[in-house]
Amino acid sequence: MDVFSDLMMGLSVAITPMNMLYLLIGAVVGMIVGVIPGFGPSAGLAILLPLTFGMEPVGAIMMLAAIYYGSMYGGTITSILLNTPGESATVASTFDGYPLAKKGRAGPALVMQAVASFVGGTVGVVMITMLAPMFSQVSRSFGPPEYFLLALMGLLTLIVMIGANWKLGVISALIGLALGTVGVDLETGQGRYTFGSAELIGGIYFIPIAIGLFGLGELFYAFYTGMHRAGEGTLVDYRKETRFWPTAQDYLSTRWTMVRSSVLGFVVGVIPGAGATIASLMAYSAERSISKTPENFGKGEMAGLVAPETANNAASSGAMVPLLTLGIPGSASTAVLLAAFMLWGLRPGPLFMEQNSELAWGLIASMYLGNMVLLAINIFAIPLFVQIVKVPYRVLGPCIVVICALGTFSVNASFVEVWLMMAAAIVGFFMRMYGFSPAALVLALVLGPLAEQALRQTMTISRGSFDIFFERGASLSIIAVTVGLVVLLPLMSRYGARAKAAKTTDG
Amino acid sequence: MRIVFLLALLGGAVFYSYIAFFDLTFLTRTGRIGPGFFPRLVGGGMIVMTLWAILDALRDRRVVAAGGAAAPEDAPAGFWRDVVVLLAMVLGYAVMLRLFGGFVSTVAYLGLALFVFNPRRHIQNALVAVLFPGAVYLAFDRFLNANMPPALFNLPF
Repeated sequence: MDVFSDLMMGLSVAITPMNMLYLLIGAVVGMIVGVIPGFGPSAGLAILLPLTFGMEPVGAIMMLAAIYYGSMYGGTITSILLNTPGESATVASTFDGYPLAKKGRAGPALVMQAVASFVGGTVGVVMITMLAPMFSQVSRSFGPPEYFLLALMGLLTLIVMIGANWKLGVISALIGLALGTVGVDLETGQGRYTFGSAELIGGIYFIPIAIGLFGLGELFYAFYTGMHRAGEGTLVDYRKETRFWPTAQDYLSTRWTMVRSSVLGFVVGVIPGAGATIASLMAYSAERSISKTPENFGKGEMAGLVAPETANNAASSGAMVPLLTLGIPGSASTAVLLAAFMLWGLRPGPLFMEQNSELAWGLIASMYLGNMVLLAINIFAIPLFVQIVKVPYRVLGPCIVVICALGTFSVNASFVEVWLMMAAAIVGFFMRMYGFSPAALVLALVLGPLAEQALRQTMTISRGSFDIFFERGASLSIIAVTVGLVVLLPLMSRYGARAKAAKTTDG
Repeated sequence: MRIVFLLALLGGAVFYSYIAFFDLTFLTRTGRIGPGFFPRLVGGGMIVMTLWAILDALRDRRVVAAGGAAAPEDAPAGFWRDVVVLLAMVLGYAVMLRLFGGFVSTVAYLGLALFVFNPRRHIQNALVAVLFPGAVYLAFDRFLNANMPPALFNLPF
């Protein structure tokens, strides 16, 4: 079948009343997750994952994916109206989003960010549609050595992106790898680190750790930084403005910005470890450097808002490519999505799109629909999300604890997992405070068992020789790409950071 | 405090490696990689990296003591008391979940947490403490058919 008929088949799978309802719920929840500062998509996905167990796999995966890319839309509302990014990928949107709002153009800024997000997200999905089958084709020649190297690449690139704290990033990843070794060794049947506990025979469950680190751990950190003591903040009241809709000039002046940032965002999103935050900062920097009026950036330039918004949404689509075709997540959020796939008994990888074509194409088709739903929600339901922004963190925080605890319990009806989640939360709080990387830990926890299994298979094939990694063309290509990324990613990160630094200097 | 955390991690790494080296086999009887191979790599790596981080932390502390700039990883003073209070409530909530089940524990925990962190708004707090657990109960138990913690001791209401 060609791509078009695959996509049509995906649409027929996605468009059912129940799936559309799940998609709508996912989009709204994603928006809410994005709106709440200090509560990112990883936490939202981890907490809501257990609640999808009673659902059909297609609907559940569609809903979880909608939460993921929906959070990119939601995070910008607070960036524009409150000068506070809802999550890290929308930091760059504050640079010109808030100045636009202060200039009395909050309404046009909100609409343009929705349009930019829609364009970025949709272009990203079009590129997934084109590229995912190609990636799948290429990766079919991969064997255990390549899978081990891919897992290593996923971890290495994430650690490189941590920058100055890379040693703490390595320690975080090693903790994740260590936790991944708990349980019965499938090859020999020997128990590892189970200490006689029946609860640990199957290994340390991913969900309590992810909820503890990203949900409760982040909440403790938010309390530590005093977010619960802050007032509601001064929201810019867009309803008092005379004009809500953007002008034709707004659309015309940013049309090429959207195209450029979509492509840039998607490419950055495909690279494991880079992610939406780097994509948005890079797009902002790139747009300013080619602008005829760079001096207007940071003072309410529409292109300065449109560029990062388009890029972060395109990047979130790009991140789905390695996830679906290689089974390698490039970020904590996609690691949670991978865990969701695995909980459903699905194993993303080269054969995934062929063996689960209905689900894979249903998911891709749902992303087209999801972006349309999000565009509509973003424009017409802004008052609803503004009300959510107004709920103080001191009320929201204790409620998040309840969702974390009950969400964890609901997975296996296990109190041990609730305690495990709380232990992870305490560790996560200290990790966050001292510059460790909870994302690297979670990624390693997911990739560790896969990497170990692949390494053992590789060593069996090669009879204990590591030369196998340098004898196969595919392995050598992955090593070359990894080395390239390890060199390139810090440069990309520095390029993106320049936008942040310039903004700080400008005040 | 950072050093204390790193020392705790080092303790964990040493314990993990001890088991990897003394309880788990490196190779299987057939000469294949055994269950201890990967844990030894991970444990050894953890010990080396944690020691390196501890040395860095000690060096940073010396620089700070000598009047230099604070280490970038040094966290600014925060609301420790609030974190400890929240943590105590969360732990108490976990114990109550086991004893009194999902709904009652959640009402009690939320009532107390909101009383402490959102003072002088008694009506708002009371409403949130009852309505939110009610909504969660309906969503979990009725709509999603998910497990809610059962009570060990059923209250007479």
